[in-house]
Amino acid sequence: MADVLLAARGVSVRFGGLIAVDGVDLEVSERELIGIIGPNGAGKTTLFHTLSGLVRPTAGRLSVRGRDLTGRPPHVFAAHGVARTFQTPRVFREMTAEANVRFGLEFAGRRRAHPHDAFDDARSILAFLGLAEVASVPAGALTPARQRLLEIGMAFGARPDVLLLDEVAAGLTERELETTAQLIRRVRDELGVAVVWIEHAVRALMGVVERVLVLHQGRKIADGSPALVARDRAVIEAYLGGEEPPA
Amino acid sequence: MSAARAVVATGAAALVLAAAPWLLSDFLLSLTVACLMYAGLAVSWAMFSGPTHYLSLATAAFFGLGAYVTAWGVATLPWALCVAGGGLVAAVFAALVGAAVLHLRGAYFAVLTFGLGELVRHAITYFEKSYFRTVGRVLTKTPDATTVYLTVLGVAAAAVAVAAVVRASRLGLALRGIGGDEERAQTLGVSTRRMKIAGFALSAFFAGAMGAAVAVRWTYIDPPAVFNPFIGLQTVLIAMVGGAATLGGPLASAVVFSLFTEFLRLRFPYAFLLVLGTLLIVLVLYLPGGLASLVERRRPAAAAGGAARGAGGPTRG
Amino acid sequence: MEIGRTLWLDLTLAGLITGGMYALVAVGLNLQYGLMRVMNIAHGEFLMVGAYLAYWAYTLTGVSPLLTLPAVFVALFLIGLLVFRLCFRRIARASPSVEVLEARSLLVGFGLMFLIQNGAYLAWGADLRGYEYLARPVEIAGARFGANRLVVFAFAVGVSVVLLALLRFTLFGKAVRAMMQSPRGAQLVGIDVGLLHPVVFGVGLALAGVAGALLSMIYEISPAMGEPYTVTALIVITLGGLGSAPGSLLGGLLLGLVETYGTHVSNPSMKMLLSYGVFVLVLILRPRGLFAR
Repeated sequence: MADVLLAARGVSVRFGGLIAVDGVDLEVSERELIGIIGPNGAGKTTLFHTLSGLVRPTAGRLSVRGRDLTGRPPHVFAAHGVARTFQTPRVFREMTAEANVRFGLEFAGRRRAHPHDAFDDARSILAFLGLAEVASVPAGALTPARQRLLEIGMAFGARPDVLLLDEVAAGLTERELETTAQLIRRVRDELGVAVVWIEHAVRALMGVVERVLVLHQGRKIADGSPALVARDRAVIEAYLGGEEPPA
Repeated sequence: MSAARAVVATGAAALVLAAAPWLLSDFLLSLTVACLMYAGLAVSWAMFSGPTHYLSLATAAFFGLGAYVTAWGVATLPWALCVAGGGLVAAVFAALVGAAVLHLRGAYFAVLTFGLGELVRHAITYFEKSYFRTVGRVLTKTPDATTVYLTVLGVAAAAVAVAAVVRASRLGLALRGIGGDEERAQTLGVSTRRMKIAGFALSAFFAGAMGAAVAVRWTYIDPPAVFNPFIGLQTVLIAMVGGAATLGGPLASAVVFSLFTEFLRLRFPYAFLLVLGTLLIVLVLYLPGGLASLVERRRPAAAAGGAARGAGGPTRG
Repeated sequence: MEIGRTLWLDLTLAGLITGGMYALVAVGLNLQYGLMRVMNIAHGEFLMVGAYLAYWAYTLTGVSPLLTLPAVFVALFLIGLLVFRLCFRRIARASPSVEVLEARSLLVGFGLMFLIQNGAYLAWGADLRGYEYLARPVEIAGARFGANRLVVFAFAVGVSVVLLALLRFTLFGKAVRAMMQSPRGAQLVGIDVGLLHPVVFGVGLALAGVAGALLSMIYEISPAMGEPYTVTALIVITLGGLGSAPGSLLGGLLLGLVETYGTHVSNPSMKMLLSYGVFVLVLILRPRGLFAR
């Protein structure tokens, strides 16, 4: 069995009286491609915040390659190979696209080994994402779709083992969605990076990932192959009365 | 301009300016000292506050601490040690304070740094009153005017050179990232806390050293004179009017401001400050990127080349 | 024992009187900052303008400063509308983020401070001015206070309480509070920022003016009188929590007491050290104010 890169055990997050994440277990192994779905407010993004160190879990442990990182600041998670994107792109608007990518390379990615030459420098990362021609454009001037791609490029700069993608396909057209799904597949296949992908567009996600986690009201209610999860009673019930049904 | 070229240019300019004591009259020399003092202060302020957008009003505190190191040490310590010591004391103070307050942002940080300056001033006043029974002291043994001038020049040149190096360094990149989006910078591996403390302390070092070097120009030193909030305020104004995101902006604006101040302030003190206030308001409203943004506006194409040109100053739109 | 008790009573009353004035000085600034993140550092200068208005009204026409209060309120309110229109509206619109807005408004505030203070020097000179009004002493529980101080205290607390009531019970006040808690949500339910912001800014200045007019009854006035009050206001709103009007009242009273007791039990030069010490400590330890939950 492949090594476990990132593990969350019994992770809970409470904000005052509200339980955003409730005892979630998650293991991400090398080269895994995992999807996380769930209705709005299911705790998906909060889970990502804990996995990247931005929110300290109220209970539970987090470890990266067996090293306990619970309660450590975000830059430590990044340095250990966990990189992420944000739902609304948080690029450095006044820096060029290239400088945005170089940022991760200068810090989290600086001392990290990178087997694949797509990670060599900012130029090659931008080329991999199809952003080469906008390298010297200030990030704030890029289209929203390109800013989303650049978000991924910034995370690549950290030369991660695990990439956490938070709704990178939100607001994309059907066609762009297809391209993004393929890109995510390539990230895993060609670069060998494990990916955890949160998405509302369940259909596109189910077509790409090998394993799906379903969150509902902060709890994990299903964890398995897309085919299995799609038939799960609890999942169907969670989705009734609002969101599109899975698959 | 690359960091190396900026450092060389600064060194060359300093060499030229070093001839001033033998060429200029006393009046012009003291004018030059004022220019250099504000140039050094504004550049060191912009070193940290420009990229991070943290509006620090602590310059007066750093400057005053440096000045007090001189006040207490100039009679016994070697001159160079006084100046370096002033810088170090200010830097250590900034690092300690920074560790406690750099998580605050916006108006909180501005108000707090201002309060810190006043706190230090009153603490020193209280301390002097309790232990020496008098506030302030007369400096009897001071270096000659040429030495003072060369020291101020040295501190200012060092501040400019270090600022140029920082801009091109990882520290500079990290500070720009913190100004752009601090959390994002963290998730990309920046220990933002450490970087902010380092930047804040480095910036404080030069303000402290400048305070230590300039202090001997006053023969009588007391807390209201050297912790004068006006010094800190004017530094911020100079840097922001020049364009805090740039290196040349604060430098140029320091020269203009100091000349303006020295000539007009004594003759028309109230009208001068009235005009200054109006000017400040108009600039913030209509030219928030500082004077440097005028220059940049004229050559927008050149900007695309330098990848790390980075974030704007605190007032950049 | 008996003497000790009177002394403490004396100090407490003196502290409360000072504190009541501090509260009034601070509350306008706090409203402005709480609503629109505009830190108007020239607050004390507008207070000074109010003080001069009351002074001129009394010395030129003999009108009681208490009767000029409404006129001062209206005058400063109108000035506030103008200043908002000329300066802060543009900043609020053009700033890309709250931090930039705060930084810019602070700088414009410093500009206004230079402008108004030095304008006052040019117009009225640097002399300290004052007038005698209700200066005869009154005795309360064995301690003597100037009648004017008591009147000022009553007005300061009265104005603060009326303001709190307005904020709590009127539609406009509710809109202001809603706006402070959730600007987005308030706009969604139809609260008009274009009206609310200038009005609250104007009220902030009007309160500063009223505070100045009241203070002119007790202290001598000068163009530089405003600055220390700005600092006091900053300390008070830090203690009470930025944006909290009841916090300002409590914070003001608290600072008044701390200063009065502190000055008494140790040497008078401790006063400033104490104020700033409390200020810095609260900002570091409880940046959202002493009374924040």
